[in-house]
Amino acid sequence: MSALLGNPMVVTAALPLLLGVVMGLLARSALPASVLFLLWAALLLFFYRDTLGPPVVPPVAASQKLIYLAFAGIVLGLLSEYLFERLGTGAARALVAVALVAAFSWLGWRRIAGGALDLQMIAAIATGLLATIGAALLAPPRASPLPRAEEPFLVPAAILALCLAGAIISVLGASIVTGQLLGSLAALAGGWCLIQYIAVLRGGEAVALSRGTGLSLIHAGATVLIQVALLAPKANPAALVLSSLPPIVAALVQGPLQGFVPGARPLRPLVAGLLIAMPAMLAILTALVWAPHGAALGFS
Amino acid sequence: MRRKLTAALAFASMCAFASAAHADNYEIDGQHAWVTFTIKHGIYGTAHGQFDAVKGAIVMDKVDPSKSSVKAEIEVGSVHTAYDQRDSDLKGPDFFNAAEFPAISFESTKVEKVSDKTGKVTGNLTISGVSKEITLDVTLVNEAPAPWDATLTKAAFTATGKVSTADFPMAKAAAGFGLGPDVDIVIDLEAVKK
Repeated sequence: MSALLGNPMVVTAALPLLLGVVMGLLARSALPASVLFLLWAALLLFFYRDTLGPPVVPPVAASQKLIYLAFAGIVLGLLSEYLFERLGTGAARALVAVALVAAFSWLGWRRIAGGALDLQMIAAIATGLLATIGAALLAPPRASPLPRAEEPFLVPAAILALCLAGAIISVLGASIVTGQLLGSLAALAGGWCLIQYIAVLRGGEAVALSRGTGLSLIHAGATVLIQVALLAPKANPAALVLSSLPPIVAALVQGPLQGFVPGARPLRPLVAGLLIAMPAMLAILTALVWAPHGAALGFS
Repeated sequence: MRRKLTAALAFASMCAFASAAHADNYEIDGQHAWVTFTIKHGIYGTAHGQFDAVKGAIVMDKVDPSKSSVKAEIEVGSVHTAYDQRDSDLKGPDFFNAAEFPAISFESTKVEKVSDKTGKVTGNLTISGVSKEITLDVTLVNEAPAPWDATLTKAAFTATGKVSTADFPMAKAAAGFGLGPDVDIVIDLEAVKK
């Protein structure tokens, strides 16, 4: 069992995909939302611990801060369940933005203090800014009385696309561990989407992630992507910026991009997913085409 | 009384000067410094690496070696292992994390004489913001004026030591890739007397 869990492909892809499927099935059972939220939080922390190691007190390097930021994201998610309705959309979005800007500052303060505004730093700022805008736009989803078929997929598809693109960019950019972590988050969201889409194909309704869970996962994906942008020495700057766009596109699918989503019910999540994945696909293509010489998926 | 006090102060000053006079100050010659390391690569061979950019100061007190000291800084970006992608991996956040911590530093806390030419230098090695005490076995290889310039005095040292990847933030990545955890360090350097 330990040998199996020691295999990076199992921990990065197979296990989280399976657990995403399990979570998707559990959400379709009568499990209370609070229990589901706690299970998601536990899964998130498990993958952080498994990939990055146990928490270090006090955290010194940015990679040691990530697990604390995951925990902060979980707390933010928990707060969102109880506070966001009272706060109103604007204040809720501002709270999410402040949390991610604080995360960026904490992860990058040594680089910021260094004062070098090189291409990597500019890309990191752009990536962080776009990821923050996307997360803030998605944070308080509009409560539709009659949700469209694609609505439950918007947040998990954005997480899947951002994390998958980020994972590939990270590994090609010489930051393998964060690549593994983003891969795990992508697989978790992928497993969930798979179960919900099968339900739609069978004529049922997809179950949406709770607001708190969605926010915790987006916060996690965004903070790890910011870390990659700040510190991976060979991460492609254009690919990084593109990879931060899926949450913004997901927010736009609810509004201006609605016209691109067809009328046929089973096709709506698929097309919405493709729209959300488009910047991520461009990001992956960019990272692969302009990969550093000799880059491979693994330590050499 | 005033005369006695003046005499005592003068004597104390002379003693302090005499003691300081035994301590020679050296500056590490970055062009003649080789900081190399070896680490086990999985179940196979031994990987080798080297840092090219080293600077620092050495105070060598031959009369009282315990008053000697070493302070050195190594530029993380200068690491090379004869393979570009591996160098990028080592500079990345999984290992030395050059963007966040551009330098590795060593500052001695204790110097002990073992024999005329050998000693132990204990100090704090700081990698990626984490400090760990290590002890280096140091040999003074030679100390002499340069044959081509009598005003230039150089000293040459060899130091060996051992660190563990498990002590630094690279622990998880190193274990994941089957590297180490033991890292053998060999340092050969020359220093110029100031």
